[in-house]
Amino acid sequence: MDQNYRTAEDFLCDESFQRYCLGTDPSAITEWEKWIAEHPEATADIAEAKKIFTILNANQGNLQEQTAQLRDGMGRSALLKEVLAQEPKSRKLRNLSIAATIAVLLGITGIWTYTGTKKETPPALASTIQSGNEPRKTLVLQDGSVLTMRNNSTVSLSEGFGKSNRILTLSGEAFFDVTPDPAHPFIVHTKDASIEVLGTVFNVSAYPENVYTETALFRGKVSVTSKTKPEYKTILTPNQKLVVYADKAKDTAALKVRSLAVDPQDHKATEIAWVRSRLKIQDESLEQIAIRLQKWYGIEIVITDEAVKQYSYSGTFESETVVKALEALQLSYPFSFQMEQNKIVISK
Amino acid sequence: MTGEENNSAYWEGIRKGNKQSFFDLYNNTYFHLVRFGLKVTANDELVKDTVTQLFLQLWEKRQRLNEVTHVRAYLFTALRRMLIDQLEYHAKIDTAIERMSQQEVATELPYEEIIVRVQQDEELKRKLYHAMQQLTPRQKELIGLMFFEGYSYQQIAEHTSQSVKTVYNTIYNAIHLLRKLLK
Repeated sequence: MDQNYRTAEDFLCDESFQRYCLGTDPSAITEWEKWIAEHPEATADIAEAKKIFTILNANQGNLQEQTAQLRDGMGRSALLKEVLAQEPKSRKLRNLSIAATIAVLLGITGIWTYTGTKKETPPALASTIQSGNEPRKTLVLQDGSVLTMRNNSTVSLSEGFGKSNRILTLSGEAFFDVTPDPAHPFIVHTKDASIEVLGTVFNVSAYPENVYTETALFRGKVSVTSKTKPEYKTILTPNQKLVVYADKAKDTAALKVRSLAVDPQDHKATEIAWVRSRLKIQDESLEQIAIRLQKWYGIEIVITDEAVKQYSYSGTFESETVVKALEALQLSYPFSFQMEQNKIVISK
Repeated sequence: MTGEENNSAYWEGIRKGNKQSFFDLYNNTYFHLVRFGLKVTANDELVKDTVTQLFLQLWEKRQRLNEVTHVRAYLFTALRRMLIDQLEYHAKIDTAIERMSQQEVATELPYEEIIVRVQQDEELKRKLYHAMQQLTPRQKELIGLMFFEGYSYQQIAEHTSQSVKTVYNTIYNAIHLLRKLLK
């Protein structure tokens, strides 16, 4: 290995670094893990190099991680078979086998797990946010995750949210863009299901008057566990949704994985039409645009710099989150913004 | 032994129930299969999951597997069939189905189209599309060979009749430009 790395380009053009990114060469993996640990000053460049590598390689994946997933899948299907062989007559297990067939048909890597009868109870509640009659309300949580609530929805953060845990309870509907943090899983409890997030963008609909919770996934992975049947758990992959019914009578139909409903006009999922903004802008100042975004997403936007207020834009911007909308605007004129719990501050 | 001879040996191992052979075959063919799938449908999650499913099924029916002369071709065919099922199931019957249903793959997606389509973030898609347009055809070709096809500098030099030094410089400059444009 060459010791004179200075830029992300140097890493990217190094063949052993490429093998490290692919996870194909154990000695390259060991060497690079060691080098990275010894050179904390290169962290940002390494991260950038990895990101560009993934882009240029079309997300082909890391062989080590993929192999681990395959092993995991083998373990689960072996376990499932064992369980089925033990009690073939039981009604519950017949359902499990139906579930397994569906999972295989859909090609879900995680398949289904049989984890006994562990019950999860949401911890004590600390603070509650209600959207009331506002069509949308956007919040920035302590961990940097952004959530947009639909009207008449309630989110309750559990005690120590953002510090010791990332657990919340939702009644109503919300769209989540979650910051990855493997040490603290992000968990959403609804009356019917609990959803564990593995770093991701998704929508949850859980109204008290409906007998089901619907989880629609756009990016990343989430795993959903039914409250009435905690032994059933499924992992969703992008563009799938899962409906969990509360009603025990609908036993066989209790868990359904489906593709997202696509709007035939613009091929965007209709599940999140309520949150997606479409701004047609013709020669408007950032100050005016900020007012429109503030109205749509239900979060206060403040501009501290007079010159920035006068930046003028034209074009059509479509995005699901307020952060994405601002990032799109940043492409034309550079400005920075900071997220606080109840407002966004834009400065030079 | 060539990769394909190894694959035949692994295949025999799998039929006898050898788990190591199973993982060896997976390691030896994983990237070939993923690239094959990506050229058909630029949906990396679907492709990776389907490759996993393919191997899970292979292990499941290991005792009933027949002898196979061309293991890689067999796996490609199996993967293509599974992808067709998946795409039909998801009602995403677009041009990819037509493209795959033809016995010979007539048109593969070009490299720059694959990497743009795989991205899910609209902003990044746009930036990447414009950035790739700034590269010369030669730069695009070499970047594709190195990062998508997994060629080494030596292999690219032989493939394109250039010196390793020239190949390195071309790729370095292309990466430098991309990095700036993707910021």
